[in-house]
Amino acid sequence: MDTLGAHRSPAKAFSAGRFADKNFKYLTIAPAVFLILLIGLFPLVYTLMVSFQNINMMEVDTSFSGLMNYEMLFEESRLWLSLGHTLIFTAIALPIELGLGLLMALLFLERLPGKQIFVALLVLPTMMSPIVAGAVWRLLFDNRYGPINQILGWIAGEPVTILWTINPDFVYPAILIAEVWQWTPFMFLILLAGLSNVDSAQTEAAEIDGAPYWLIFYKIIIPAIWPVMAIALLIRGLDLFRLFDVVYALTQGGPGTMTETISVYAYVQGFKQFETSFTGAIAFLVIIMLTVIVIYALKKMELVEK
Amino acid sequence: MKLTRTLAALGVSAAISLAAGSAFAQSAAQRAVDAAKQYSGEEITIVWEAGLQSLDPLNFSGPLWEKLTGIKVKVVEVSTAEMFTKILQEHRAGTGAYDALNVVPSWLPDLAIAGALEPLDAYVDKYGFREELQEIAPVYRDNQMKHDGIIYGFPDDGDVFVLYFRKDIFEDADNMKEFKAKHGYALAAPNTWKEFREIGQFITDKYKGKVHGAGFIRVPPLAMFMFQERFRNEGGKFFDADSMKATINSQVGVDVFKAMVEDNKFMPAGVESWGFVEALSAFMSGQTAMVVSWPPYGRWTAGYGLDEKVLSWVPKTTIAGKVGYALPPGGHPQLALGFSLSVSSSSKKKEAAYLFIQWLNSKEISLQRVQLPYALRDPFRDSHFASEEYKSRWPDAVHYLDVLKAGAVSGLLDLSLLQTDKYEEAMRQGISRLWAGEDAQTILDDVAASWDKTTKRIGVDKQQAVYKAWAAKPNAYPN
Repeated sequence: MDTLGAHRSPAKAFSAGRFADKNFKYLTIAPAVFLILLIGLFPLVYTLMVSFQNINMMEVDTSFSGLMNYEMLFEESRLWLSLGHTLIFTAIALPIELGLGLLMALLFLERLPGKQIFVALLVLPTMMSPIVAGAVWRLLFDNRYGPINQILGWIAGEPVTILWTINPDFVYPAILIAEVWQWTPFMFLILLAGLSNVDSAQTEAAEIDGAPYWLIFYKIIIPAIWPVMAIALLIRGLDLFRLFDVVYALTQGGPGTMTETISVYAYVQGFKQFETSFTGAIAFLVIIMLTVIVIYALKKMELVEK
Repeated sequence: MKLTRTLAALGVSAAISLAAGSAFAQSAAQRAVDAAKQYSGEEITIVWEAGLQSLDPLNFSGPLWEKLTGIKVKVVEVSTAEMFTKILQEHRAGTGAYDALNVVPSWLPDLAIAGALEPLDAYVDKYGFREELQEIAPVYRDNQMKHDGIIYGFPDDGDVFVLYFRKDIFEDADNMKEFKAKHGYALAAPNTWKEFREIGQFITDKYKGKVHGAGFIRVPPLAMFMFQERFRNEGGKFFDADSMKATINSQVGVDVFKAMVEDNKFMPAGVESWGFVEALSAFMSGQTAMVVSWPPYGRWTAGYGLDEKVLSWVPKTTIAGKVGYALPPGGHPQLALGFSLSVSSSSKKKEAAYLFIQWLNSKEISLQRVQLPYALRDPFRDSHFASEEYKSRWPDAVHYLDVLKAGAVSGLLDLSLLQTDKYEEAMRQGISRLWAGEDAQTILDDVAASWDKTTKRIGVDKQQAVYKAWAAKPNAYPN
């Protein structure tokens, strides 16, 4: 029988087969990778392109404008202030969410009656849209109709009028309370999963050897859950860097620009004032910052091989 | 039930008017209906402010237009804060998602320059609407309709600040006697802000906090208009017209800022966070004796339409028949916000959209619409102020309409420049800092610096020309 294969050189056929075998995994994932690159890279390249143009509310000038928008980044003190506010929120909220999440996870590690119901109730805030959570907290903090001031009034025995979203002493606590309320359950859930997988043989052995709990926790439990904890920290850290919804719903960045985060600032520039090209430059600045932070964090957390 | 009856009555009245034969056949509303029939079966989309405002096209004008022409109206509800963004975004993206638009008049220059609005002159002439446009109260017609001499919108909402005060408290014999003895003049609606403070403080002291002298809207996006009004009434100018340097941080601005903080002291605690609803609720329940706000307060405090189901959220009035109407202190109220009806330049159904807004804005239909108790559209045509039907809506409606009419003569325009929102944003931020307790002069210096920076970016000469044209209008500053 005269087949195609019969005429093919045995060396060539062997080589093609070997290529397909060797690269099979790459060939199968190639369409997905292409699609992801298309979806992920196109907006990125487009944003970069726009950031070198001069598109704003009044004109759509698509000619090359050089580094004009990037120079403006350095002149805009409001941008750097908003970056500072973002870092403050991140620096305060992240450890609180981690600490509370860990405490709750340790509590729920034990057998508790109704544990599943409690866990389900605790994670409810995480399922809520952040803008809705912000709106709910705005109502809770309302000085006229909100229950928080009412409860504080009952405790104090006189009417309490704390302007949670106006008074500079209370705006940060208000935003942080809402943020921590919504996202601590996320930490809790991930850490609970991590703690459930800690090898009990090791902790029991340490207990038998008379090690105090804090030492067991520090030397056995933390290293065991570290990869999970590091990922949770990274995810929440990135989320906090992009903090928008709760701030926008509660204070819109006020009073003045006191609570304005980088995302709120970018939103105002891009969608309120239509500084499209300048917003493109802001987006790129944020992308660069986040990339550096993530690479540094991954190295520090030893989550990637050196 | 009540709502259905009201709508039915208004609908029947409008339908009868439109079908009334030769006497009405030449009206702009009828012409719009006749011409629109060629588009029967189509659907047009209109952007409308979310909430009560949009009940007008949803419950009244939309269904009636469909009945008369066969054109369905789809209403896209957008909050006022997002309206500008949405309109410009859709325009830039060229989606053609909207056919007709509601536009705040101070945005008109920005939207017209961006090319988002369709010039309407050709349609106005084609469908004979020019004559009826002339019957719109001059302050709205001459200032909220055109950009560079071209018609881009039909003024459709007579927003103006009104001072509402409690007649029963002001006319109480003991109060009058005590006040006269203390201050040497009669207790009446205040003509100046000094009088306002003295009266407000007197009432708060007299009623020991059970009734406060006043309770104002203080959220920055709305309080900003009150600042604009008071600043100009006290003699302030936004810019030096020769250099185009911001002068909002002048002594007048600082004094007004300080006075606003001082006034808060005789208002209920926490007033700094009050919006439209909080100030309304406090006044309706009798907790405050004075408030400056938009025209719907006057209708609702009189109890007009409050038995409508859609207004069930509005607190029941405890002060019907006890409310007096006056121009705010200074006598030149801000024509704050308002709406004009426009056609989107990216619409694929421009003619149908135009015919709809001509019909909405026409003498006959607009009179029905400004009487919808829930829709927040306020009288803006000479014929609205003179309407016998409107005057009969509640016992004091005559006085109410008189004050609105007076406001439409002496009222002050919202500041309108290129990229107005940037200037407004700086003012909003300034007011939020004021309520946070910062120093008035420092805040206003920052606002002025921000304005100067914006002006420089836009181009001083370009913005100066726009400002000079705006400032030359009779209603830009008090005469």
